[in-house]
Amino acid sequence: MAEPYLRVENLVKQFGPFTALGGVDLEVYPGEVHALLGDNGAGKSTLIKTLAGVHQPTSGQIYIEGKPVNFRSPRDASAAGIGTVYQDLALNQLMSVTRNFFMGRELKGPMGTLKMDEMNEIAHDEMLKIGIDFSDPTQAVGTMSGGQRQTLAIARAIHFGAKVLILDEPTSALGQKQQMGVLKTIKRVRARGDIAIIFITHNEIHSRLVGDRYTFLALGKVIGAGTSQEINNEEMRRLMAGGAEMGDLEKELAAI
Amino acid sequence: MADRSEADRLKEETWIQRLIRRPEIGSFIVMVVIIVALAIASDGKAFNALGLKNNIKIIAQYGIIAMGAAMLMIAGEFDLSIGSMIGFAGMSMALMLKWGLPFGLGEATPFMAFIITLAMTLTLGWFIGTIVVRSGLSSFIVTLAFLFFLRGTTEVAFRLINQSTQVSGLPDYKENSWFANILGGEVFGWFYDAWYWIGQRAIDGMEFPARLPGETINMLAALNINRRLEQWVTGFDARFMWFLIIAAGAYFILSRTQLGNWIYATGDDKEAARANGVPVNRVKVGLFMFTAFCATMFAACQVFDTNTSDAAKGNLMELFAIAIAVVGGTLMTGGFGSAIGVVFGAITVGLVANAVFFIPEIDGAWFRVFLGSILLAAVFANERIRKRITGGI
Ligand SMILES: Nc1ncnc2c1ncn2[C@@H]1O[C@H](COP(=O)(O)OP(=O)(O)OP(=O)(O)O)[C@@H](O)[C@H]1O
Ligand SMILES: [Mg+2]
Repeated sequence: MAEPYLRVENLVKQFGPFTALGGVDLEVYPGEVHALLGDNGAGKSTLIKTLAGVHQPTSGQIYIEGKPVNFRSPRDASAAGIGTVYQDLALNQLMSVTRNFFMGRELKGPMGTLKMDEMNEIAHDEMLKIGIDFSDPTQAVGTMSGGQRQTLAIARAIHFGAKVLILDEPTSALGQKQQMGVLKTIKRVRARGDIAIIFITHNEIHSRLVGDRYTFLALGKVIGAGTSQEINNEEMRRLMAGGAEMGDLEKELAAI
Repeated sequence: MADRSEADRLKEETWIQRLIRRPEIGSFIVMVVIIVALAIASDGKAFNALGLKNNIKIIAQYGIIAMGAAMLMIAGEFDLSIGSMIGFAGMSMALMLKWGLPFGLGEATPFMAFIITLAMTLTLGWFIGTIVVRSGLSSFIVTLAFLFFLRGTTEVAFRLINQSTQVSGLPDYKENSWFANILGGEVFGWFYDAWYWIGQRAIDGMEFPARLPGETINMLAALNINRRLEQWVTGFDARFMWFLIIAAGAYFILSRTQLGNWIYATGDDKEAARANGVPVNRVKVGLFMFTAFCATMFAACQVFDTNTSDAAKGNLMELFAIAIAVVGGTLMTGGFGSAIGVVFGAITVGLVANAVFFIPEIDGAWFRVFLGSILLAAVFANERIRKRITGGI
């Protein structure tokens, strides 16, 4: 079996007295979609934010291609090939598509001026490659649809050399057709074979459709892991509910 | 159905439609209205040789600090210490010029007084910014503290060193020091040379204007464009040049550079910017230093122009700066604004502030009534623009 591109060993993250992650292990391989599943508050976003350099781990170690790494900032992580598409997408609403696409990594000409035309073109082409023909790269992101924003964020991560593409609930808050669009995008990225994808979702069908390998989190710990062959549907449903009774979830829903 | 593409959904706009949708359009229209109204109401006096000079003086003063305030607001922060920083910088320069450098280091040249003062104000700007980003406190409250702190320090320093809260009768440094001259002297003399040359020809009715219609000649004459009439103007205040430099710099940075992108990103959504590797704290601290720089330039132009200073200088200027930034289309919540809009705002507010000199019948307090009104109107207009861009949230 190939070597994992990214490996996480016994990762612990505490926020003051609160243990968000209590010793998590994870391996992701290039050309695979690794679905990260678990209940609300299980710690999925915290885990990937730690991988992305937003949070520093309290203890534990991250390895990239077998070498231990320490990310002190999101810049470090993206330099190491970790491209993250956050749940909130990390897009700035008031700014244009292009300015968002290149945020923090602008193309500069002599004298530090922005190469606006070139950036407009790249932003347009990169989004076209994964499925959206976006006509006006000077449009503000605030006016884009949810699926378009997702595509923008994914295209951005890939363009800037992501070897690990982290997608935090990319299909939530989207219409049926746009959800399928995002899944197609994931498949297209997977087909390249050189990019490892971490895909967070609450949707069982989506994770079945694209997932090669699963890790289930509950209350900050891994409660199950395996490939798509190893885990059957029933097992999956149980683990996705954090091992808890489905009835509890229904009650939670009713309370809102 | 299938042959429809995304591009078809975007209507081609003419350049006029594009222009109308620009965020500066509101402040531009208000400015034009004010210019026309003032020209008519003052019978042209507001824009004769001396009128123009006086108006541009106050526009440049407002513009310099409003540009600093606007850049900072775009990055999502306020600075209420601008006015006190002006007082502090003026005090520092005037006291050094009068009483010599600190620690008995001898007499202060204008250059030394300016540089030492700038070093102090930039350090203060850095300090204020660092407190804001490290503590996560609202910049409103932190800079309010410095509003009091710096004003108090200024007065105390005046009394301790100078025994009085003002310095007057400094020598006219402009005459011997080129440095004092580029801050407090005059610039763009060629403008008035050309103006008078044209006026002279017009009034003499010589060859060049002979082809101009009679009314035009009368109008030119009425504008007092003649060195022989009572107005003897040789150039604009140097602060006009500094205003142009600062405004052009701000425009360039905001629209054409990486730093500009970072400033917008920081004010729009700090966390998103940080997640993409934008050093938001450094951007903010840098902009607090920039407002301190603008306040120092304001004070330096004043000190070397008038050869005086007093402890009340710059009072309330922080509020004018913020008001002008908002009138110029800067969003209170950050992430949006333009240097050109701020220039329009400074022209509008400057002209109205000065209007009483050209239309003596009106009560000067109307200025504040007007400012309050357009400020409110501008906030509503800006909010509408923000909603249009964010799709109504
Ligand atoms: N910065 C923080 N400070 C304190 N607690 C935090 C912080 N970030 C997350 N938490 C807590 O850590 C736990 C895990 O949160 P996390 O966002 O990782 O959940 P999640 O698995 O992504 O949930 P969801 O499916 O709802 O997105 C939650 O209880 C949350 O309140
Ligand atoms: Mg989450």
